[in-house]
Amino acid sequence: MTLAMPAPVPTLQAKDFRSDLKPIWCPGCGDFGVVQAVYRALAAVGRPPHEIAFISGIGCSSRIPGYTTAYGFNSVHGRALPIAQGIKIAHPELLVLVAGGDGDGFSIGGGHVAHAVRRNIDLTYIVMDNQIYGLTKGQLSPTSPRGLKTVTSMYGSLEEPLNPLMYVLSYGAPFVAQGTPADLPGLTAMLEEAIRYPGFSFVNIQSPCVTYGEESGQIKAQKEKMKALADMKHDPTDRIKALSLAQDYGRELYTGVFFRDPNPPPTYDALVKARQAELSANALPRQNILDLFLQK
Amino acid sequence: MTTDLVIGMAGSGGDGIVSAGESLIAAVATEGYHAMMTKSFGSQIRGGESSCRVRLSTEPVLNPGGTLDVAIALNWEDFLKFGGELPVGGNTIVIYESKTGVAPDKLPLPGVTPAEVFPVPIADMAKESAKTDKAKNTVILGLIAGWFGIGGDGVMKGLRKKLAKKGPELLEANERALAAGRKYAQDHPLKTPRVMERPKTVSPKLLTDGNDMCGAAAIFSGCQFFGGYPITPSTEIMQFLSREIWKYGGSVLQAEDEIAGIGAAVGASFAGKKAMTATSGPGMSLKTEMLGLATIAELPLVLVNVQRGGPSTGLPTKTEQADLYQAAFSAHGDVLRPVLAPTCVADTFEITVEAFNMAEMYQTPVVILSDQEISQRKETCDPIDTSKFRLVDRLRPANSELGTHYARYRFTESGISPISEPGMPGGNYLAAGIEHNEKGAPISGGIMHAKMNEKRFRKLNPIRTRRDLFQTYGDPNAPLALIAWGSVAGVAREALRVAERKGVKVKLLVPRLLYPIAEEFFNDFLSGVQAGLVVEQSHQGQLYHIMKMVLDLPKGLKSYARSGANPFQPAEIVRRLREQAQAMHQSGDSMPQEE
Amino acid sequence: MATRGIDFARLSLKDALDLAIFIEEEAKERYEDFASQMETHHTPDSARFYKFMAGNEEKHRAELAERRGKLFPKDPVTVSRQMLFDVEAPDTDEARTFMTPRQALTVALRCEEKAWAFFDGALKVIKDAGVKELFTELRQEEVEHQDLVKAELAKLPADDRFKTEDFEDEPVSHD
Repeated sequence: MTLAMPAPVPTLQAKDFRSDLKPIWCPGCGDFGVVQAVYRALAAVGRPPHEIAFISGIGCSSRIPGYTTAYGFNSVHGRALPIAQGIKIAHPELLVLVAGGDGDGFSIGGGHVAHAVRRNIDLTYIVMDNQIYGLTKGQLSPTSPRGLKTVTSMYGSLEEPLNPLMYVLSYGAPFVAQGTPADLPGLTAMLEEAIRYPGFSFVNIQSPCVTYGEESGQIKAQKEKMKALADMKHDPTDRIKALSLAQDYGRELYTGVFFRDPNPPPTYDALVKARQAELSANALPRQNILDLFLQK
Repeated sequence: MTTDLVIGMAGSGGDGIVSAGESLIAAVATEGYHAMMTKSFGSQIRGGESSCRVRLSTEPVLNPGGTLDVAIALNWEDFLKFGGELPVGGNTIVIYESKTGVAPDKLPLPGVTPAEVFPVPIADMAKESAKTDKAKNTVILGLIAGWFGIGGDGVMKGLRKKLAKKGPELLEANERALAAGRKYAQDHPLKTPRVMERPKTVSPKLLTDGNDMCGAAAIFSGCQFFGGYPITPSTEIMQFLSREIWKYGGSVLQAEDEIAGIGAAVGASFAGKKAMTATSGPGMSLKTEMLGLATIAELPLVLVNVQRGGPSTGLPTKTEQADLYQAAFSAHGDVLRPVLAPTCVADTFEITVEAFNMAEMYQTPVVILSDQEISQRKETCDPIDTSKFRLVDRLRPANSELGTHYARYRFTESGISPISEPGMPGGNYLAAGIEHNEKGAPISGGIMHAKMNEKRFRKLNPIRTRRDLFQTYGDPNAPLALIAWGSVAGVAREALRVAERKGVKVKLLVPRLLYPIAEEFFNDFLSGVQAGLVVEQSHQGQLYHIMKMVLDLPKGLKSYARSGANPFQPAEIVRRLREQAQAMHQSGDSMPQEE
Repeated sequence: MATRGIDFARLSLKDALDLAIFIEEEAKERYEDFASQMETHHTPDSARFYKFMAGNEEKHRAELAERRGKLFPKDPVTVSRQMLFDVEAPDTDEARTFMTPRQALTVALRCEEKAWAFFDGALKVIKDAGVKELFTELRQEEVEHQDLVKAELAKLPADDRFKTEDFEDEPVSHD
């Protein structure tokens, strides 16, 4: 209960971002909360839906663009980030959101994450991390804890989970946060901040799978164990401290902003625009482009 | 006088043989010759053996030519590594470095007696004239100027431009080396002079290779995004665009892998921009899933596959035509994807523009199936009148179609649905790899799936009627037929010339639309054909088999196919064609006319 | 309690009314969502119940809106629903496939209790007399709603001892 009333009333409402499509998600799924937070964060940011491109791969959570009124692209498994980058570079005025699950982002599409980070393209990447493959019925995911028994690890997983927070922090992402639908106001505020951040922003959301997830990951259990980084007096401008806290992924549930670069580095899309402006004066008229090959 | 000359040279990378070839072709282009240059290299990245062939003519050059008229060897070991790529025959003038110590009558060319042989102290001449034996390649250009009357001043002009920033010393050294070569040639005249006839008219010419031409055509077509990953032999397309496209408000993304490259291009297309990617066979394998996505999401996209020898890494620097099945059929689900093939450098412009137009018109990925030879060989071509090309933009929704009732995948008579893009108010929709209804909402029912499949196929029907994507040559009533595509088309056209000179009645079909098969056009062409060959540079003869799948082929039409890196020669095609005719005759069918 | 940014000590009657309206609106929409989820997932009895709850919340919302209209006919709304998630609305994760009406009613009962706690907590800091009066009234309504739901629950037969998951089909894989 911190901010004083009256709060600003956004011109766009959450309902303006909600589509008519009925989610296929199982009742009780964490993604229902996530999509609510997304509607409200977008309303707060205030860009109309037609100026938003919302890209996803494959998986339960990747259905999310269809549940918004933005331009959506529910693409192929693991490839949301490359597609989104093409969109942002080709049309930098758009607000670009990318969403998907832990398998989509860190298994089949894992190779793309580092490159999206190092390019620092101005987009927001939301991972709904549930430590399981839901849409194919409960197999091991890259963030499943060691020892987890699933239909493809009947005797327990033999692998260490991947740490999404360390991953993106290590590659130099300028904005890294973790949220949960167990704290929707916090998640909404965090998403709004991520979207507004001028550069690559990453939000890992602990969004439990009600059908195949562990009991300890469900929202009720999360409410017991989550700890707000703000309450821990974490300084989000300290990348090393952020990395240190991120090591606890899988053991602790910290929520809030791990790292926010106070001096946002230039974005790839802004540099593209600058280069275009700089070089456009040297262009032959399009119809005379072949003069480049003329032998004189 | 000579009207057509094929020069082949080989040496080590340090000898600058390819650089000499580049200077020569640029010079003869300004002199008004038609010319073509191909290069071939050993597998080393730097300092391996290298070779080039320059063919020049007073008439348009259709292919790199067969047996060399002039063979230049800086050392024999390197020369011989190129084997069939630099064939020496009884008409060849052989020029070689005398330091090799090989006696003129003991050339390491078993069974061949060249027309004339010149051991030349090339390195010594370079050292003496230019004060460095590095100028061997310029001495060679002087020899060529002296003996064949080509290059010479044009070479100097080119060097002046190229070396302008490097100071006078280097230029003067080159000047002296060139003069030394010329003088040597004058002092040692050929027994049978072979001075090239001058072109009747000297008109300005373009000189470039297929990859740069493709890049230029992309810019002309309005391409604003290229996403790709370096792969031989297509990389120069990305390189060209990364130099030029920014000037036109576009950009190039060198992606982290082949998949991301095409993914970004798919994204750019979704964002409303004309987009492209380029690759070769192995990269195409990786891009296949994204192509399927572009098909079902109905997004325009141009993909260039510059073919090389395969499968897998195969022969990365050599040409082959074995990726046609992949271009046409590499998909899961029911997919119809147009495949276009350019036949030469100049044609690469037209085919690339056509590919963008087709992609935009039909909201579909289109594959340009080029090959290493076209993409990396340099050709002169007459200036292209770009005003004759109509550029197509995708059909966008009218204002009245936008709003909550907008249906991105609306069923229309043509099957083409107006496409919106992010930023367009009221055009909001969900593009998806999952099957969808007219509004773009995911569905899982068979009835809608069938309707969407039918729509996606129906919209492409008009492509099959595009007669302008086929070239025919020769006597339309000839009972003998040749069919060839891609770089082999140039060899086939020359084979047709040879056959006609020998009085063999034959016609040639060069399809530039390889898939879908334009049944009506093929049937028209093949009516009355009794025998013939589909000539392809692949082990399988892939076009032949696709034709066989779709068409009722004349019994005497056969595949003449062999693996890549084994170029066809016009003469052998004619020989094979006559055998084909003969076989027809012997089998009791009516005999093809031969006069 | 999922609210943020509300300073109850300084809450005006107009804003309090608007807040209360939003709380009802939020609950109505969540119940509608749940009803829709139940329909999509072949759980019709609970769908019917959630629709009924949505109707109730809508009725309350309309009553409050009418009062607000009379008291402050021209004053613009200056609070937003942005940070209200589940004061009276169930948490987004409380629906379940094949949940029994008893389970559905239990969810609703928890919500009424939760709402009571919200108003009760707020009343401890509220200073404005008008707001105090309004929230006291709203807190009392939650008690009545609890009784209503409890009465409904009492009418229902007890759930049997078996779990649906021991009988249902395996979930279906997609994508």
